[in-house]
Amino acid sequence: MADLHIDLCGIRLKNPVIAASGTFGFGREFDEIYDISCLGGVATKGIASVPWAGNPVPRIAESRGVILNAVGLQNPGVEAFLAEDLPWLKQKTRVIANVVGRTYEDYEAVCARLDGLVDMVELNISCPNVTCGGMAFGIRPEAICEITARVRKQLTKTPLMVKLSPNVESIPANARAAERGGADCLSLVNTFTGMAVDIERRRPVLANNTGGVSGAGIKPIALRMVYEAAHAVSIPVVGMGGISCAEDAIEFMMAGAVAVQVGTQNFTDTRACPKIIAGINEWCDTHGVAAVGDLVNTLKLNEKERGTC
Amino acid sequence: MREIVATVLENKRIADGIYSLTFAADEETVVRPGQFCMIGLVGFPLRRPIAVCQAAGERVTVCYQVRGSGTRSLARDYKAGEKLSVLLPLGNGFFVAPDEKRIAVVGGGVGIFPLISLIRACAGKKEIYAYMGFRNRAALCMEYEMQRADHLTLATDDGSVGFHGTSVQAFMSELDEVKPDAVFACGPTPMLRALKSAMSGRGIPVYVSLEERMGCGIGACLVCVCNRTGGAHARVCKDGPVFEIGDVEL
Repeated sequence: MADLHIDLCGIRLKNPVIAASGTFGFGREFDEIYDISCLGGVATKGIASVPWAGNPVPRIAESRGVILNAVGLQNPGVEAFLAEDLPWLKQKTRVIANVVGRTYEDYEAVCARLDGLVDMVELNISCPNVTCGGMAFGIRPEAICEITARVRKQLTKTPLMVKLSPNVESIPANARAAERGGADCLSLVNTFTGMAVDIERRRPVLANNTGGVSGAGIKPIALRMVYEAAHAVSIPVVGMGGISCAEDAIEFMMAGAVAVQVGTQNFTDTRACPKIIAGINEWCDTHGVAAVGDLVNTLKLNEKERGTC
Repeated sequence: MREIVATVLENKRIADGIYSLTFAADEETVVRPGQFCMIGLVGFPLRRPIAVCQAAGERVTVCYQVRGSGTRSLARDYKAGEKLSVLLPLGNGFFVAPDEKRIAVVGGGVGIFPLISLIRACAGKKEIYAYMGFRNRAALCMEYEMQRADHLTLATDDGSVGFHGTSVQAFMSELDEVKPDAVFACGPTPMLRALKSAMSGRGIPVYVSLEERMGCGIGACLVCVCNRTGGAHARVCKDGPVFEIGDVEL
């Protein structure tokens, strides 16, 4: 049995596997299938200052190796989360509250309300499925720095994780912007904006026309982006994007991620997270790795011959 | 609610584009009428939500229509002996109150399959009037199962079998004589809309089973919502799939 625990911004996680926001609700439903106290943590469904209704249906589509979703951040609002979900979830596992908003004030209000009550806040400035707010804050480095700095002031007790979008010009620039704004750690990637067409109806499958692409098919791109982010900043990075088995998680950790999040695979295999945790442990044991933290950032790049151009 | 590895016992075509799949669960599985399961297919990120027709002991039968690449794979690649990852039982299912002694069951297309489980459960205990609609004779299936109802009316869009028209039209033509205590329905949305407007203001409870594209199937992801009357959302997979017809927008 390897030592699977990791330390993330002073928070001890019993292992590096976190259920990703939007795929896991507030954990209750999955807990009917398995005891979720085995997880490193849960990144909650996005939480706004007031309840959000989300987008019309269909909200989901499938393509080869990936899915597309356009849920539109339907959520019960921060007060319902605090009253109905947090007390239960807290006694199960580490709670990473994913925070969404349409304005700076929205984000600030939710963070102020959550400060000291959750283990960490994950700032969602990267959702591609809402028309205002969401990703609008997460594209340009200046905007990322500004929103990060503003919510940072609201969080005096709780560490701040900023979740980055992949739909951007430069991952390193955006990662550095979040660090400059005062992020304690980063998570990436959120979903890639995509489309699926119903050729019989000649219409997009999703009511929202476009949606966020996730699942095994995005893993190589996400992995490259996590590598870039981890090497651009000195704060910890949590990697995600298409992780569907222990080997995938280990790749992300070697590329520089201190922990990982698992999302879409929870739909494919309800027990994906515990299987990945067990698989990481087994891999460590068979490879003589005493502590999972020893895997982090151990990737050595190949020497490339200098080409002529 | 469990995630199991099931063994396919039989997977056969029963009508035009319609298949019946029977699998063995790992242990005895209690499934209420109207509940469903999520079937995982190798190579497909999303499980397919499919209504349960019948569950007896460890044997569970579901019926499905081949509609896309996933159901095509299910029909082609999963012969007897193959393993399937299945989540079940899911959703609330139909509930027939003790004082609802005479019930009407109205189904259309693949919507008949969850109603088969209801007919099986109520046969001999309730007086069942079943109205089952199909596109045409080639789409007709499960006639033997439907005949467990005390009174069965078949309807086809082209009149090739039974009543010429929809199952809702067939049902409404007999409503005043049948006087059911409750109505249970499943089928395409236009059919359910027609039923809702025809039954509005009659004081007879109508329960409908809804269909929606799903993500997790267990209530966590908020993908498969429907609108409750008044604007709030309900999860089809967890709060449904069965709703009182007046409680949801169709």
